[in-house]
Amino acid sequence: MGDYKFAKDKLAEVLSSLGDYQVFAPTPAGDVVRFLEVKDPAAVTLESANSTVPPKELMFPETETLFKYRLGDTGLDPSVPDASARRLVFGIRPCDAMAYTIVDNLFSWDFTDPYYLNRRENTTLVGFACGDPCANCFCPSMGGAPASEKGLDALMFDLGDTFYVKTLTDKGDAFAKAAGLDAAGDAESKAAEKQAEEALGKVKRSIDTAGIPEKLPSLYDHPFWEQFSDRCLSCGICTFLCPTCHCFDIQDEAEAFNARRARMWDTCMFAEYTVHTSGHNPRPTRKERTRNRISHKYSYFPEKFDVIACVGCGRCINNCPVNIDLLDILEKSKQAEGKEAKTA
Amino acid sequence: MSEEFEPNIVAFLCNWCSYAGADLAGTSRTQYLPNIKIIRVMCSGRVNPLFLLNALQQGADGVLISGCHPGDCHYLEGNFYARRRFMLMHKLLEHVGVDPGRVNMSWVSASEGVKFKDVIEEVVTSVKEAGPMDQFRRRQLNW
Amino acid sequence: MVDLKELQDKAKEVISRDDVRRLIGWQRGTYGFESAPIVVTDASDADKLIFDPTCVQNPASFITLEEKRPVPRGQEPDTRKVAVMVKGCDSRAIVQQLVEKAYPRENVIVMGMPCRGVIDRRKAAALFGDVTPDEVKLDGDKVVVSLNSETKELARGDILADKCMRCRYPNPLVSDELMTEEVEKWGADEFADVDEFEKMSPADKWKFWEEQFSKCIRCYSCRNVCPMCYCVECVVAKLKPQWTRRSTDISENAAYHVQRAWHLSGRCIECMECQRVCPVDIPIMTLNRKMTRDVKEMFDYEPGVDVEAEPLLACYNPQDPEDYIM
Repeated sequence: MGDYKFAKDKLAEVLSSLGDYQVFAPTPAGDVVRFLEVKDPAAVTLESANSTVPPKELMFPETETLFKYRLGDTGLDPSVPDASARRLVFGIRPCDAMAYTIVDNLFSWDFTDPYYLNRRENTTLVGFACGDPCANCFCPSMGGAPASEKGLDALMFDLGDTFYVKTLTDKGDAFAKAAGLDAAGDAESKAAEKQAEEALGKVKRSIDTAGIPEKLPSLYDHPFWEQFSDRCLSCGICTFLCPTCHCFDIQDEAEAFNARRARMWDTCMFAEYTVHTSGHNPRPTRKERTRNRISHKYSYFPEKFDVIACVGCGRCINNCPVNIDLLDILEKSKQAEGKEAKTA
Repeated sequence: MSEEFEPNIVAFLCNWCSYAGADLAGTSRTQYLPNIKIIRVMCSGRVNPLFLLNALQQGADGVLISGCHPGDCHYLEGNFYARRRFMLMHKLLEHVGVDPGRVNMSWVSASEGVKFKDVIEEVVTSVKEAGPMDQFRRRQLNW
Repeated sequence: MVDLKELQDKAKEVISRDDVRRLIGWQRGTYGFESAPIVVTDASDADKLIFDPTCVQNPASFITLEEKRPVPRGQEPDTRKVAVMVKGCDSRAIVQQLVEKAYPRENVIVMGMPCRGVIDRRKAAALFGDVTPDEVKLDGDKVVVSLNSETKELARGDILADKCMRCRYPNPLVSDELMTEEVEKWGADEFADVDEFEKMSPADKWKFWEEQFSKCIRCYSCRNVCPMCYCVECVVAKLKPQWTRRSTDISENAAYHVQRAWHLSGRCIECMECQRVCPVDIPIMTLNRKMTRDVKEMFDYEPGVDVEAEPLLACYNPQDPEDYIM
């Protein structure tokens, strides 16, 4: 594990020297930034605070073919798409990298999901520390930090004219070697440490999560949910843009005799998410759906995996059209008077 | 063999006029082009614009909706509603960049076997000009 | 200007009535230039109500968003009214909902809020970054933003939403009571943006839309925020038959957006909420405004202005244009 650096104007050069990898980096289209495969290194931006759509889509795509098959005499002929390409995610923020470590729990739980895990294994994560956290970031409250190393293979710092790269794993070293980075000295690592500390101080919002996972079940029937759910649109913004939300739907799609089984993002905020074949819907209103989203992240998930399914990236707060503020809900949940926990 | 593009056109014909018109073309041995796949509906007013989009998604290169002449609808006014609907759909698809020649509508009565043949010829020509429709086609299953 | 105290007192009076169940308005948001809709069910919450240029959301959407819960056996259904505060543009949604008989007129109490424009959150963020203003108000031809004991004066076009600059209905078109006196109209809408777009070649148009539709993540926020999208079951959620697949790709995304724009033609009241909420910045209104313009030209019809009107596609005129019909 070593210390490296490269000049800022060499960014395009570094990106194009990574020919062995399939490289993904934040790429803007108008105001929207997404992690796309790098075709033109000049199009990459490291300026934005964070990508609009989280890089979870690189491991767990919006829509993914699980296998294809033909109807008729050939029967089932599954051909699992190849996911062995060596990939590198460049410029991922520490919160999004930490999110992978949380979602890993789920995808390697009772069923080991080859699609997600193969990609995880073959991917090198080169993080980019936040110098200037945005208004609704609260990563320190969730065990992260603007320069957290969790889940990363290398972490980059913006030191004015140069990028300082600290490699954290063998994969990270391989990246530094492939990119031909110069060695960095004490001065850079000191500067990076100072920057990390300053950035931590710039995070404006916070929440003390102590006790929340245990308390939420006792608020199951509490009316306080309604002050949020009454204005909820029941849309998928908060969950689709959440780096840790991982629910999916599986559907078969057929065209004459060709078919595929695909999985696509799904969200507990949609009414049709829970609807039964009979037509009965156990979560008929937005109240139950809002409650489920928060409870899943902050109570059910930690109960099972001992970690809260939130990294404090602030996307759900930033993008909610009706200003349903996660931190506001959590604060109000702490004030609300709970009843004896109901066994769900 | 010539490589000329032969379009695939879905035609929604109303039971009372246009379908009977197509029938007449058949019984009177008026040959019309084989590019159309006819779907019989009870009235042009039954055709939901979703049918049209879905046809384009499933690989049609063009669509024809045909009904009774205005005023002759078997249900008195179904084709008037259809006319408004598809006028809007036509404009909308043009706005997203779909060649307007792909969305066609016609009035063909039960006695107009020859007109039916002419309409099909015209539709096929305009869709041929527009070329294969790839914009809305479902692509993930081309394997 | 609205006297907040007066507004809150009025709201208190309304929500305290025996025949009123809930009141929908706006409250201060938790950060930046945000506001949030609020559903007041208790008079004590009426103090949270505000009205200023940050109140962008369309409260009319929340009338139809509310689910109808099953009535427990032996109980009577709750038939009390819903009170709703609306700006000029929002009121058109109510008019159109009434035209479509979404609910009876007597079920709603409309509190009219004559409005001189609301801010565009993206413009505000570009100008001010991550700060939270103390106050935003309209003063004559200026927007006055006070933050950190400083005041900044801006021209209206610099920070107000584009829809406000061409607003033709600043005063509510339906209301039981106006909360302030009516304001003077200023805007005109020539659909210059639609004309501009139409100059593009079909290939360029598709190139533009292909790029836009490809971005869509199908969160359906545009549909859910729309006051006119209140179908009990949306066609994209249907499984039997499944017209549109859930998978995101250009084919399904394009079909979804074209379906929605078509379904809104002659119904869209141009509150622009769909475009505002879109997390990936798809210019959805470019489709809807084209339809609005064409509906006006072809059928001389404008949705959401006349409660007595018939829905556009539920009526016809024998002389309707048919220039493309063979």
